Amino acid sequence: MNTRDTIPSDEDLTAFIDGELTAEEAARIETLANEDEAVAERLEFLSRASLPFEQAFAPLLSAAPREKLEKMLAAIPAPASAKSGSPPASATRRRFLGALAASLVAGIAIDRAVIGIGRGLPARDENSEWRAVVADYISLYTRETLTGPVPAPDVQAAQLDALDEKLGLSLSPEAVSLPGIDFKRALLLQYDGKPLAQIAYLDPETGPLALCIVRSDAGPKAPDLESRKGMNVVYWSNRTHAFMLIGHAPAERMQQLAEDTRNRLSA
Amino acid sequence: MSVAPTRFPAYSRARMESPVHPAVPRHAGSSEAAIASAADIRSGLTENLPRLWRYGLVLSHQRDVADDLVQATCLRALERADQFIPGTRLDRWLFSILHSIWLNEIRSRRVRQGQGFVDAGEALTFDGAHDTETQVMAVQVLKRVNALPEAQRTVVFLAYVEGLSYREFAGILDIPIGTVMSRLAAARAKLSDDGREGGRQ
Repeated sequence: MNTRDTIPSDEDLTAFIDGELTAEEAARIETLANEDEAVAERLEFLSRASLPFEQAFAPLLSAAPREKLEKMLAAIPAPASAKSGSPPASATRRRFLGALAASLVAGIAIDRAVIGIGRGLPARDENSEWRAVVADYISLYTRETLTGPVPAPDVQAAQLDALDEKLGLSLSPEAVSLPGIDFKRALLLQYDGKPLAQIAYLDPETGPLALCIVRSDAGPKAPDLESRKGMNVVYWSNRTHAFMLIGHAPAERMQQLAEDTRNRLSA
Repeated sequence: MSVAPTRFPAYSRARMESPVHPAVPRHAGSSEAAIASAADIRSGLTENLPRLWRYGLVLSHQRDVADDLVQATCLRALERADQFIPGTRLDRWLFSILHSIWLNEIRSRRVRQGQGFVDAGEALTFDGAHDTETQVMAVQVLKRVNALPEAQRTVVFLAYVEGLSYREFAGILDIPIGTVMSRLAAARAKLSDDGREGGRQ
């Protein structure tokens, strides 16, 4: 809008309506609208779109699953990577010493306490951290999270393609199918700046189950079992990726499912 | 205004309306003052969860995607707490995180499970008993906005519902002012046209 005589564009008029023009520019539009019927008409036309947007969208705020979201947020651990976080570590140590002292007083065998604490705090290496985060996430899943029809094979394949591309995998619906358990969706998430593939299933007997995969160059590792958030986790890795299968099924069943999956993925 | 979700048994009405207002966010007052900044982000997140979710719903039209978007936003914001510049608006920062997660990570991959997209207008039913004109109007507005192409819908929502200025679009969402203006202008033309043709339906 440099020239005085330029017919204002819809953009100019919109900015005018939105109060985004400088006083000078606004004055120019006003003059034009007063002088030129076509401009006035267009201005009136565009103004009709000034709808009660705020009121219209307000109900969506109360439709938000606030409680669920708050639980989810509360479940996110304080980032372990926070370099400033050393005071909490010493606080933990103090608590730990305090607990030891207390157990002495109570006459509880120290070695038992130490073993117990050791088990409660899984090794804080990078390789377990992602599993902790996934476990937090999956622990929020209910059967209802995964209701809905099982996607058709071609839809499954398309979802998996998207993961393949990001993670350098080649997953097929057959390779990731679990016997007697419904595939529900494949979803790309992110952990620590890296893509994380999540394939969610619903086991009619035990509920939500997920196979998660990240890139990892930590080297091959045979399957291991751990317990997180009341669920069983079987995790393993190959040369390029780390895998975890997490769910509420008994340990033995989870190990069997993981073994099958592992074989099919490497086939 | 009384609103009940249909089609989504996962979020029963009783559950949505449950006492809510989590008085004080549990974690906010935690004793570890050393990580004040992360704690600030956390309480800011708690406050803004419904707004973030609503934006996620406007973008994706899917409740479960909105859930995931909010979760990813929380994770990212907490991870990057040290990148937040104190004194600037936290809500805008959170919106920009959610926006970029949507654009870069989710939108292109939203080949979703069978249900397909749900019109956010349809996802809400209004109590028949209180079928006031205002509510009918609100549903009409929602429907019309939701019928806009995503790029226009986003700017309309952010400008007219969340109140972003043109300058904020450029600074926060990395959308040039010229683009914002042309999208808003196109959206206005479309909305006005809708009003002319089908407003009485």
